[in-house]
Amino acid sequence: MKTTRLYLSNDTSSLAAGAGRLADAWRERPEIQLIRTSSRGAFFLEPMVERDMPAGREAWFNVTSDDLPRIVGGIGGTPVTEIPFLEQQTRVIFANFGITEPLALDEYQMRGGLKGLAEARRLSPETIIEELRLSRLRGRGGAAFPVWKKWQVAQQTGAEQKYVVANADEGDAGTYCDRMIMEGDPFRLIEGMLICARAIGATRGYIYCRYEYPAAARAMKFAIQKALEAGLLDFDDYPFDLEVVVGAGSYVCGEETALLESLEGRRGVVLAKPPYPAESGLHGKPTIVSNVLTFAAIPNILANGGAWHASLGTEGSRGTMVLQIGGRVRQPGLVEVPFGLPLRDVLDRFGGGMAPGARFKAVQVGGPLGSLFPESQLDIPICYDAFAEAGAILGHGGIVVYDRETNMVELARHFMAFTADESCGKCTPCRVGSVRGREILERIQSGQGAAEDLMLLSDLGETMKTASLCALGGRAPYPVETAIKHFGEEFRQGVKFTRPA
Amino acid sequence: MTTRGRSGLAESLEPCRPMPPDKPNILKALLAVQSALGHVPTSAISQIARVLGVSDAQVSGVLSYYSDLRIQSAGRHLIRVCMGESCMANHGGRVLRTIQDHLRVSVGDHEPERRFTLEQMSCAGNCAVSPTVMVDEDLHGKVTPSDVPSLLEPYR
Ligand SMILES: Cc1cc2nc3c(=O)[nH]c(=O)nc-3n(C[C@H](O)[C@H](O)[C@H](O)COP(=O)(O)O)c2cc1C
Ligand code: FES
Repeated sequence: MKTTRLYLSNDTSSLAAGAGRLADAWRERPEIQLIRTSSRGAFFLEPMVERDMPAGREAWFNVTSDDLPRIVGGIGGTPVTEIPFLEQQTRVIFANFGITEPLALDEYQMRGGLKGLAEARRLSPETIIEELRLSRLRGRGGAAFPVWKKWQVAQQTGAEQKYVVANADEGDAGTYCDRMIMEGDPFRLIEGMLICARAIGATRGYIYCRYEYPAAARAMKFAIQKALEAGLLDFDDYPFDLEVVVGAGSYVCGEETALLESLEGRRGVVLAKPPYPAESGLHGKPTIVSNVLTFAAIPNILANGGAWHASLGTEGSRGTMVLQIGGRVRQPGLVEVPFGLPLRDVLDRFGGGMAPGARFKAVQVGGPLGSLFPESQLDIPICYDAFAEAGAILGHGGIVVYDRETNMVELARHFMAFTADESCGKCTPCRVGSVRGREILERIQSGQGAAEDLMLLSDLGETMKTASLCALGGRAPYPVETAIKHFGEEFRQGVKFTRPA
Repeated sequence: MTTRGRSGLAESLEPCRPMPPDKPNILKALLAVQSALGHVPTSAISQIARVLGVSDAQVSGVLSYYSDLRIQSAGRHLIRVCMGESCMANHGGRVLRTIQDHLRVSVGDHEPERRFTLEQMSCAGNCAVSPTVMVDEDLHGKVTPSDVPSLLEPYR
């Protein structure tokens, strides 16, 4: 009997959407050979099954085990190139997703992988860093700092030992692109880290992976082993030692100095900067800490040149932005587009509007420290400058849409409670401010707020913004303040009396 | 601690014994103990400190800092309900309340028969298939309140 090759994603979210059940049901079927790939990120279509057809891959959506005869018969599929959600994207970092087997190094290489590393091996450290300067790549972990500047500092700082650390803590709720890269294209992260190691002269690397991502940690360990066996981790004169380290559930450990404290096994508290990790990081040695997505962007830059990367996007934001749409939209999933698209277009064209029965209330961009936008402010373009001007952040690209049933006072309380729970305790504005903020919001929520409470909250916010040691305290007031600004009536309803003077 | 617990402890600590010039890594040791015993009993702090060559206070400090390190054994199964923003937006709060009512257990606690411990988490990276409930390492997506009984049923 002729067997048909079918492709099914093995990504954690695909499994949660039913891909695992499908694989179990079809395990014994002789007429098919099931290839487990990464996910295309169109999670609203998952479980999605693909197969090769004469004109290319075709896909079947929201598949149940009963659909097998149709798929094997080649009936009713949609050409992958005609799926609007995917067809309108510019997949650069996520170009392999849904296509390759994550742990097949040969497939990675066949699709252009390792070209950047080969370039880097040929070039001098200074030339690699110059290529990055030309690319105008900025860090994707939140702070958007120019990547080349950090590398240059680390490269020029003399030390017998330097480190490369991938920040895979991905603490912002609503984001999952780092997880997808580690599970779905792990060699890309390894390649990016190797290029960095080569540029700055590092001999050891760590991937600090959050505890909540067991499958990502497993995939990375496998991939490192394969890379080792393939001789990829050897530079001419020294080996590069790469290790996965699992964290233990602390949001602030995503902050780079806290992360390094945690890597050394201590309490993950934030340290004052300077010194920056690039000068004095892990064990006091020059260390590049970059986000997973940042490292994953680097192989293409070396392979295609910095100018190629700089040709995508807008003036201050070059390259592609990886957005992760979640919350009450019809089409949640991963979107990679050049910077510059208005937020409204992202929500309409990719998000597909609201989930059935839901009505739009607000959208939050940039994780739990990101600002809320009401319907009237959706024309803001997705780029660092416009967001900075609006006092907002793109952060790690998380986009969460809330519907009309969302209670804004409860949401604001949730944000402050989150900061109070996650504060590392090092600085007073964050440690005490977040607790006071939560208490005030709890009063308002229970209808016991005093007239001056909203003023108090605003003063508290100003103190936290200006005096906190890191962005946890410094950004925590923003989602609360934007909630009050745009949905003030809900808060005023909880303010019942004026406290006697 | 039982004898088995004690030998499990010693065994799990062995690979964490610091080899100069490497410095002791407290977090790594605590995670190793937790993965062997299911939790880090406070009665083990002194032994951990001795093996690592650090003070008891340093070990306690790290142990209390990280929310994923537990000092009490969990129930046979650990339920973690995501309260991250995407799950909140998809009304995961209702799922949490349904689980609380169904098991008659509050967050951070386990039922008397110790089948389940209930906790919250802040994001499982499953935001596109939310709301999310994790039971042990199994991830369940798009969970509705009415799914709760059948979702928990297979875990004995
Ligand atoms: C509270 C807090 C949490 C953070 N969490 C993360 C995180 O989970 N992942 C990340 O890459 N960066 C996080 N950052 C930013 C890091 O401090 C650092 O800027 C980043 O890892 C640098 O990488 P990049 O240059 O590639 O952006 C966080 C910062 C703060 C203040
Ligand atoms: S917000 Fe719940 S899985 Fe991300």
